[in-house]
Amino acid sequence: MANGWSIIIGLVFVVLASLVAWFFSPKGENNTVWRSTLILSFASCYIMWAITFLAQWHPLIEPYRNTLRPGYE
Amino acid sequence: MAQHDSLFRSSPMSLAQLYISNEIGREVVSALGELGCVQFRDLNHETTAFQRTFTKEIRRLDNVERQLNYFKAQMEKSSIPMRSSYEFEESMLAAPNAGEIDELAERSEGLEQRISGLNESYETLKKREVELTEWRWVLKEAGGFFDRAHGHTEDIRQSIDDDDAPLLRDVEQESARANGDAQGQQSFAVMNIGFVAGVIPRERLAAFERILWRTLRGNLYMNQSEIPDPIIDPTNNEEIHKNVFVIFAHGKEIIAKIRKISESLGADLYSVDENGDLRRDQIHEVNTRLSDLASVLRNTKNTLDAELTQIARSLAAWMIIIRKEKAVYSALNKCSYDQARKTLIAETWCPTQSIPLIKSTLQDVNDRAGLSVPTIVNQIKTNKTPPTYNKTNKFTEGFQTIINAYGTAKYQEVNPGLYTIVTFPFLFAVMFGDLGHGFLITLAACAMIYWEKPLQRSKQDELFAMAFYGRYIMLMMGIYSMFTGLIYNDVFSQSLSLFESQWEWEKVEQPGQTVTAHLKKDHRYPFGLDWAWHGTGNELLFSNSFKMKLAILLGWAHMTYSLMLSLVNARFFKSKIDIWGNFVPGMIFFQSIFGYLIFCIIYKWSVDWYAIGRNPPGLLNMLINMFLKPGQVDPEEQLFPGQAGIQVTLLLLAVIQVPILLLLKPLYLRYEHNKTVAQGYRGIGDTSRVTHALDDEEDEENPDRRTNGRDSFGDDEGGAMITQNIGGSADDEEHEEFEYSEIQIHQTIHTIEFCLNCVSHTASYLRLWALSLAHQQLSIVLWNMTIGGAFGTESFALRVVMIIVTFFMWFFLSIAILCVMEGTSAMLHSLRLHWVEAMSKHFVGDGLPFEPFSFKLLLEEDPVD
Repeated sequence: MANGWSIIIGLVFVVLASLVAWFFSPKGENNTVWRSTLILSFASCYIMWAITFLAQWHPLIEPYRNTLRPGYE
Repeated sequence: MAQHDSLFRSSPMSLAQLYISNEIGREVVSALGELGCVQFRDLNHETTAFQRTFTKEIRRLDNVERQLNYFKAQMEKSSIPMRSSYEFEESMLAAPNAGEIDELAERSEGLEQRISGLNESYETLKKREVELTEWRWVLKEAGGFFDRAHGHTEDIRQSIDDDDAPLLRDVEQESARANGDAQGQQSFAVMNIGFVAGVIPRERLAAFERILWRTLRGNLYMNQSEIPDPIIDPTNNEEIHKNVFVIFAHGKEIIAKIRKISESLGADLYSVDENGDLRRDQIHEVNTRLSDLASVLRNTKNTLDAELTQIARSLAAWMIIIRKEKAVYSALNKCSYDQARKTLIAETWCPTQSIPLIKSTLQDVNDRAGLSVPTIVNQIKTNKTPPTYNKTNKFTEGFQTIINAYGTAKYQEVNPGLYTIVTFPFLFAVMFGDLGHGFLITLAACAMIYWEKPLQRSKQDELFAMAFYGRYIMLMMGIYSMFTGLIYNDVFSQSLSLFESQWEWEKVEQPGQTVTAHLKKDHRYPFGLDWAWHGTGNELLFSNSFKMKLAILLGWAHMTYSLMLSLVNARFFKSKIDIWGNFVPGMIFFQSIFGYLIFCIIYKWSVDWYAIGRNPPGLLNMLINMFLKPGQVDPEEQLFPGQAGIQVTLLLLAVIQVPILLLLKPLYLRYEHNKTVAQGYRGIGDTSRVTHALDDEEDEENPDRRTNGRDSFGDDEGGAMITQNIGGSADDEEHEEFEYSEIQIHQTIHTIEFCLNCVSHTASYLRLWALSLAHQQLSIVLWNMTIGGAFGTESFALRVVMIIVTFFMWFFLSIAILCVMEGTSAMLHSLRLHWVEAMSKHFVGDGLPFEPFSFKLLLEEDPVD
């Protein structure tokens, strides 16, 4: 499902969302607050998501446990 | 760029002079107060408060305010509720004309007299009542003493004859002698025994007795009993416990002495007749008087309450009106006059954008007054630094307060308040990440926002007021915490399996067998941490490595962003040297070390090391060796080809930046200065050089002469003030002389700080990792200790009970420890990351706050009810 391209696809989505936020933020004196808040939010959330994704892309260790019951799929 | 005032920079300000016709000065200033976007500059700061023009008016209003406060205190005393100021219509609270103020002053004067008259008579009556009550008690109790004392006349006489006999024996032997009191039924007067009766506060009784005993050498017979009900002192409404006493003694002098002693100890003496019948009459009389007094008291109280209730209906409005009026006169005191005293001249700071609004408001006031002379608004150029004004709304207010708590931004520099709206709650959320806890916080914030109005008007305790003030911050914190909770895959320490895992477990043959999961071929968990890690043996190993790198990456992003803002600042203030002397070398230094580290982290993540048959190299050793062994990379540990060369280049690049950072700006500034001096210019405010021909001594006197000169200048006419602004340097801001050494020292400090801070601040962001780890582990422990353990209980009935009990424990501890305590700690850490790590990269913060003359702010700061 998800693979290495997800990072790029996610970036495209975030850039699009930011563009939308830039152009469709409510006009008026709070325009700057709307734009900055939305775009910064998108960027921060994207960075966080992308880091998490990258960290699991090529994991160096494998999980192990001894609490699974027989028959677990 | 922005036509609107935005939060990005503080609003452009103008210094405006207002020429107001004297007759409408009060009206104009009060209209400006309603508008609330003008800051008056004090034009008479050399005059004391008593010498100003409107001192008399302010004193008068002070008096009215005192009277109103007196009414309020009286209302509180008789617990009459005041009508809330929110219930009044806006028009009622507007500043009225001078006539109405006079009327109000007169009215409150009259009311005060009436109220205090009523109060006085009430208190007198109350005092009378207390006296009568005490007298009644004395009469009642004394009756008993007399009956007993009559039986003891013999003993008393004996004890008078025999000085050694202790008085107390009489009391002990009292019962034995009870039978023989028929013969003792003779008058005290015959025996020359007098008595004193009265009441005394209970705590003084012991001292009273002791003093009497010592001064009279035991020549007395004292009887006392407690009054069961406390007596209320009418002056301060305090309850006092008192005792009734009767003292019998022999001889006039001794009685007089007793009287003196008892009066000096605060006892009240009452006359009691020794005759039983007369006493009964007295009691009767006292009772009638008491009941009369009670009805008079009730009437007085009713009148007083009715009067106060009447006042309570409009007191809040009066208080607001008087408060506004006082503020108007204080503002008028800051203005100056022309010589003929026809025109009032005010100097004000106001946002440039609201000048048209101010003009139209002033025009309205003029029209209403029907004056032909218009009010003139004259924008003047000045070299004074305007105050910093960031217009906020209820959403941005809290965030801006975070920044203002650290320092006021320099006029028109980039305001960190704008990005704080996102970064502050986001960094909080990185430390607080838990979907469940985030949801609880969001819920609390939403509730506070939904019931905003009623909550605002209610009285709040300090802690709640703080949370309420930051309700929008809390909302953002909650929302981002839910997001980071999803990323960490934590809901109250449990995990969500929203998507298909990227791990496949081996088949489990028997319970307790250790199994390993293997990576699926072309599937990665799409959002957040894979739930397969939850509860595994090496979960911490994985999440620690992940969270540590996350912290460094986010810190790098945050700091780079903040550093970029210094470029924005330098470009805005058109200071090229700040770009080339500060921003560029700083940025290169930071990126060539930490930017490179970030690159390596991401590069290492994107390479499938096992697929290319290599061991993943350690990043920590790589970074250390970059400094210790430049140019050498162990082939086993090599990340990418050509690594050694790149590292050497970056290192050199970073090292070169240090002297550039250190020297470029000071040297450039010196060069510029020398060039201007060579061309014969000098700074406008460089007054010290004007007198350089004179002696040093005179040079020291120079400041005085300057002010003297200007004083006469200002007295000439109001218009001279414009020249004053441009001409001399103002008292509050001196033009700095150019001094190379000072600039060099400043720049050296900056360089050392910057280079060291690059390291320490990056390390400081590791707190993101530490706190999120702590939060997660704490919530796991809480779960296992309470509700998690309850699920494993053997017996069914016990399990039900346990689950219910532990659920409540878990839930309340979750709120108290994980949401409130942990939340506060994460918030403080996030605050520090902003104040220290981010703002040090671009924030100058030497601005003066804009303090507008606004009735709204005035009433918010000090509400009337």
